[in-house]
Amino acid sequence: MTTKHPKVQQRQGEFASRPVTRIWQEQETATNPYLAESCRCHGYDLFELMQHRRFVEVLLLLFQGELPTPEQTDLMEALMIACINPGPRHPAGRAAMNAGVSRSNTAHILPIALSVMGGTHLGGEEVVAAMRFFQAQQERNPAEVAGELLAAAVPPRKGDWHIAPGFGSRFGDIDPLATALASQLHEKPGCGHALHWGDCLAQELRSWRLGWLSPGIAAAVFIDLGLPPRAGAGLFQLLCAPGLLAHGLEMADKPITAMPFLDKEHYVIAAAAQKN
Amino acid sequence: MSLPPQLKKTDTSFWDERRGIIRTEKGGWVIGEAVYNHGYSMMDDLVGTASFFQVLLLNATGRLPERRLADWLEALFICLSWPDARIWCNQISSLAGTMRTSPVAGVSAGILASDSRMYGPGVAVAGSEFIIAGLRNKLDGITAEQIVAGYPKRRADGTPVIPGFVRPIASGDERVEAMEKVATDLQFANGDHLALAYEIEEVMINKYNEGMNLLGYAAAFLCDQKFSAFEISCILSTWVHSGTHACFAEATQNPPESFFPLHCSDIDYRGKEARAVPPRQ
Repeated sequence: MTTKHPKVQQRQGEFASRPVTRIWQEQETATNPYLAESCRCHGYDLFELMQHRRFVEVLLLLFQGELPTPEQTDLMEALMIACINPGPRHPAGRAAMNAGVSRSNTAHILPIALSVMGGTHLGGEEVVAAMRFFQAQQERNPAEVAGELLAAAVPPRKGDWHIAPGFGSRFGDIDPLATALASQLHEKPGCGHALHWGDCLAQELRSWRLGWLSPGIAAAVFIDLGLPPRAGAGLFQLLCAPGLLAHGLEMADKPITAMPFLDKEHYVIAAAAQKN
Repeated sequence: MSLPPQLKKTDTSFWDERRGIIRTEKGGWVIGEAVYNHGYSMMDDLVGTASFFQVLLLNATGRLPERRLADWLEALFICLSWPDARIWCNQISSLAGTMRTSPVAGVSAGILASDSRMYGPGVAVAGSEFIIAGLRNKLDGITAEQIVAGYPKRRADGTPVIPGFVRPIASGDERVEAMEKVATDLQFANGDHLALAYEIEEVMINKYNEGMNLLGYAAAFLCDQKFSAFEISCILSTWVHSGTHACFAEATQNPPESFFPLHCSDIDYRGKEARAVPPRQ
């Protein structure tokens, strides 16, 4: 006997007759409504922005709706430089290099690498989680938060420990580069409460060989700039993109032998996985 | 010389006809009635009756093939389903897995990487166009030997780099033999494109010790089945799909960033030495 299923019917709902944006306004030409002759970003004329503002200022304008202060601009630009290249050992950098050397269409290098840069481990999704962590915890005493995290934590038996999003170990230790980058950003006049608070939390975690991770730094800066968590993943990917593309392109005109291809002594297939 | 008349207003009627409307010959969902696909009702005519690869071919080309062709294509996809994390597209999925991307992102990144000029579906158009043009030449009286001799792209040692007749990492291709058996079991006869492919392979083996690879075989076979080069590239676009799954899955079963980690010294830096940043002008 079979269950009688309900009849399929379209749901009633109010759909917008056209999409809405508060970001971008296009002025059509007098003779062709498909072409824009000018556009405004949150009210500012694009040509005026080109003439008088830096790229990073317009980038923040896009996401914040207002032009940033000089201190905010300086902080964001410093973060952009800090994140500009995850490097040739980072899995996202290696994905780009793999794509380059294996003759993947060069238009795909960035999407491939940014896919790898989008995960919950040191990627865009961890930035989002870290931003939410800052929002939830940054008004509390960092020592108390650290104590609670450590008391409740079950460290993994193997691999790195991210005790909270954006904070943990890298290859079993405190990441010295992330620590130094956070420290330099901390000295910027635009540095806000989240970066200060994150620094205090990192200090509390030092004895457990835990500290700042790169998504935590990006998250703290984004929170201090007033950006919403939903913007965190994509912005972090955007900031990391230049270096990933550069590494992919560096390999794109090299022979296939320019990257290692492991021999059978170094590519070990479990006996059970092999045909008897 | 006369110039076309100046228009006071641009004629945008082509786009106006398409503005705010989608017209499709493929099909779609008529809510409460059926999901239509090229004249079939998916739930009534295809689900549970046709194989996935029959429907894939239907969607890609608009033609529902006989079951044995879909079965042949499924076997072809298995040929590129190696769970080997050294293969570039697979390794990208491993790297995605070790960084805990979503399965869709990890598998998609691997598939995207296989749009390559060297291997996988990225070579499908070039391989198909080569054998289509080759058969045209053969019908004009040009021999396989002349086709190979006239191929312009060469390695430093003079070996022609013909798509479908060279292979990275290894020469020879165990998958061709496996697919030949599948074709025989399914009672497919060799067509004109495949016959030419074998003639070219014989020349390549005798002169350069290079055999036909799986792409060369598959492109010729599919051309014999009346698919165009573009259709072949569409059909094979997710060819590496299954192997990337294996590599992504294994990487996610181990701690993050534990897949194939590198020391700093594992990167051979040969750029400029350290130097100070000059002051701003």
